[in-house]
Amino acid sequence: SFGVKWFVEVQKHSVHTLLFRSLKRTHDMFVSDHAKPQASLTLQCCLGVALTADTQLQKMPSEAGVQSMALALPPSQARQDAVRTAASVGDIHRHAGGAERSQPPQHTLALMEGGGMKNTALVPRKAPTMPKPQWHPPWKLYRVISGHLGWVRSIAVEPGNQWFVTGSADRTIKIWDLASGKLKLSLTGHISTVRGVAVSSRSPYLFSCGEDKQVKCWDLEYNKVIRHYHGHLSAVYDLDLHPTIDVLVTCSRDATARVWDIRTKANVHTLTGHTNTVATVKCQNSEPQIITGSHDTTIRLWDLIAGKTRATLTNHKKSVRAVVLHPRQYTFASGSPDNIKQWKFPDGNFIQNLSGHNAIINTLAVNSDGVLVSGADNGTVHLWDWRTGYNFQRIHAVVQPGSLDSESGIFACVFDHSESRLITAEADKTIKVYKEDDTATEETHPINWKPEIIKRKRF
Amino acid sequence: VLYFLFYSFLPAPTQLSQDQLEAEERTRAQTSQSTALVSTRREPPPYGSRKGWVPRSLEDFGDGGAFPEIHVAQYPLDMGRKKKTSNALAVQVDAEGKIKYDAIARQGQGKDKVIFSKYTDLLPKEVLNDDAPELQRPDEEAVRELTEKTRAALEKQVSQKIAAAMPVRAADKQAPAQYIRYTPSQQGVAFNSGAKQRVIRMVEMQKDPMEPPRFKINKKIPRGPPSPPAPVMHSPSRKMTVKEQQEWKIPPCISNWKNAKGYTIPLDKRLAADGRGLQTVHINENFAKLAEALYIADRKAREAVEMRAQVEKKMAQKEKEKKEERLRELAKMARDRRAGIKGHGEKGGEDGEVRERDEIRHDRRKERQHDRNISRAAPDKRSKLQRDQDRDISELIALGQPNPRVSSEAQYDQRLFNQSRGMDSGFAGGEDEIYNVYDQPFKSGRDMAQNMYRPSKNADKDMYGDDLDTLMQSSRFVPDREFSGTDHGPRRDGPVQFEEDPFGLDKFLEEAKQHGGSKRPSTSGRSKDYDHEKKRRKE
Repeated sequence: SFGVKWFVEVQKHSVHTLLFRSLKRTHDMFVSDHAKPQASLTLQCCLGVALTADTQLQKMPSEAGVQSMALALPPSQARQDAVRTAASVGDIHRHAGGAERSQPPQHTLALMEGGGMKNTALVPRKAPTMPKPQWHPPWKLYRVISGHLGWVRSIAVEPGNQWFVTGSADRTIKIWDLASGKLKLSLTGHISTVRGVAVSSRSPYLFSCGEDKQVKCWDLEYNKVIRHYHGHLSAVYDLDLHPTIDVLVTCSRDATARVWDIRTKANVHTLTGHTNTVATVKCQNSEPQIITGSHDTTIRLWDLIAGKTRATLTNHKKSVRAVVLHPRQYTFASGSPDNIKQWKFPDGNFIQNLSGHNAIINTLAVNSDGVLVSGADNGTVHLWDWRTGYNFQRIHAVVQPGSLDSESGIFACVFDHSESRLITAEADKTIKVYKEDDTATEETHPINWKPEIIKRKRF
Repeated sequence: VLYFLFYSFLPAPTQLSQDQLEAEERTRAQTSQSTALVSTRREPPPYGSRKGWVPRSLEDFGDGGAFPEIHVAQYPLDMGRKKKTSNALAVQVDAEGKIKYDAIARQGQGKDKVIFSKYTDLLPKEVLNDDAPELQRPDEEAVRELTEKTRAALEKQVSQKIAAAMPVRAADKQAPAQYIRYTPSQQGVAFNSGAKQRVIRMVEMQKDPMEPPRFKINKKIPRGPPSPPAPVMHSPSRKMTVKEQQEWKIPPCISNWKNAKGYTIPLDKRLAADGRGLQTVHINENFAKLAEALYIADRKAREAVEMRAQVEKKMAQKEKEKKEERLRELAKMARDRRAGIKGHGEKGGEDGEVRERDEIRHDRRKERQHDRNISRAAPDKRSKLQRDQDRDISELIALGQPNPRVSSEAQYDQRLFNQSRGMDSGFAGGEDEIYNVYDQPFKSGRDMAQNMYRPSKNADKDMYGDDLDTLMQSSRFVPDREFSGTDHGPRRDGPVQFEEDPFGLDKFLEEAKQHGGSKRPSTSGRSKDYDHEKKRRKE
């Protein structure tokens, strides 16, 4: 069946390791609930003040203090977020002063994970709770649309959510009705595979780019090509539209990305710097406005005004084929065969790894609910919780009857604008539409989540 | 004298002047010269007493700098010397006192450029809530501002790019002149004619609209160096084991069609990719059925043919017998008619001998009759053989009749014999004028006719059959419409059809004979031939 595959891989570890890990996890899970008085839990270290080895052993807080600590725990949960914000030096001093009064202030329990703790070895730093992943209903396949005669390479959904466009290796662009899945229109004009399509929200234009170096602008009122953007020296792999400015960005196998003015067809900027094919490009209206991922394993964040690189992220080990921007947060994710990594704007600070999808990741898509979808070259789709990086579902859809089993691969996936449907473009020449399984609940599909051993610190 | 007295009343100064200090030190040094443990610091001579002194080493400077009154290039603390270029960066320290190790990574970039080089940039950060302030997008105001700025910048870029393509228009109106009030720092009567401030009028320089581009942009220059590479924020790739490398080995391609270098490749390698051994060949059983059916049909047909042949043979035989019977009957009847009437009367007795004698008489009579017939027919005419023997050899040749008598003995050419006859052999006494080359016929006798080529009438017998004439005369194959240039000339009589004098040589020879070889311009168009002939003959 094409359903959910749950495999819990049994990792081989020594008995000692397994025991230690399970002990540690248990300890971490429950320590915040019990608040056992511990010898090393001192007030000073709660305050995050640097200590020397001499001052480690302090007198225990009084019993009353402990009890109040225990009571204070649950509500302090809410304070932790506030506490997580950078504590000013003044606060620290105030707390230090307060400690001498031996009255544990409410927020001592908020284990501040701020920087500046020098001797971490002495203090077991525990997060208040393990961040639990949000439960998402599993997604299931509910429609398969066939009609293309070659791999379906790209998808875009119209801003009004009525239809979507697909570009394919059979050189055609087809427009399908979203609700029924019926073909509405076929457009021909490209002479090679159509690699990228985009629908403009500001004008009735459809943009497409292909491996024949052409970037075409189609007028959807007349269903004709009205503009060509000439300048790329090699196959154009992806394109994106700026949400507020009438500007188109395309990226190509010639290691450049080009910024075009839509109306005048002028090549405003040529973004050079990558040393290999630029596989993906995304645009947004806040800094940095252009993000490109390339086969030279780097991601570059560009300054659109100057046309220069703002930051280069070299964390990936293999080609970056997919980049996706979170719709509401100021973060983005990039996919590569080794890992999917999450980053923070505007500087590209690394947030976390989402590892487990060990295949060439061709596409990423993200939901407002925090569902990240990664589609791979071997036909598998992994669904992740964005916040924690928990992989809650893996799908490997069966190929269309008549196709070989090796013809399974996902080239593009996109959520529709209502974020309730996931549309994937596949290598068996079909378009598959997925929706959330309404009958599933948290009990039927429980979260099987193992938190990491290594604590994450806020640096 | 007065101030000397004055000084004595005042207390001694607590702070000594520099000179006095130095004097004191000198005295101290002199007094302490006996104790050699004290290290001497070489001090430069005090101000005023430096005439002729030149600082040569670093220590000569003491703790001070260069001496401006000594006109020699001085490098206190080695400052100011032209150093050999080294790309070593000076060690920098940040605000907290920690050494900035990423100065190397930031060499070519500005201070604000975002470069990740620390280990902490690699580590995953803690999981934040969705509404954490760090994760929030910038607010709309900021976004709008950025959008406007970007749009303006891009507009400028675009307009610059397309301005080159736009037609020449009238000169742009320049912005109105700006006036700037400027207060120079150097003030005085000499500068600015004593005025404190200046007013400057700033005008945009006019651009000539008809001016062609000033600089050549068709030159190709190599690209400049790229920006410095970003620090690599991942561990180096794992080394490939031999086993893994073996897994990825791809065997060379052996084509079934092309062999550009002409390699000789063993057959098993050639067929390796064929996949023949992998599939079991399924043959449809109908092939066997078809073969069987054909075999049976063939056999049946043969049997039928044989039977038919036998039946026909029997029929033919019967027919033959019947015919023979009939002929025998006829012959018998004829015989009977001739001698039968008489024979009817004879009775049986004296059968044997009488009949024999009668038969002999009958035969003799027949012969006599035969001879009489022949002699009666044509007494003058001779038999064919007789006729041929009387003919001359040339007639025989003309008729194509003589045949060589193939004799069993070997035949020799007579010219081979008697060739050397001594003095009588043909020397003929040294005569020059004799012409005895052709004294004997070339090929005498009957060989002649055989060796001459005579096309027979039925030369194409095997091609066209016996009646070539009828075929030639047949008018079945005359076309309705012919080609325009068909030649209805005479048909060929033999393999080689001789044309009537195509070049007119005979005629020409006749003329030549007539005119006796003298030159005469011929009016006909054969002058060329004439000249050619003459040339040929001359040669």
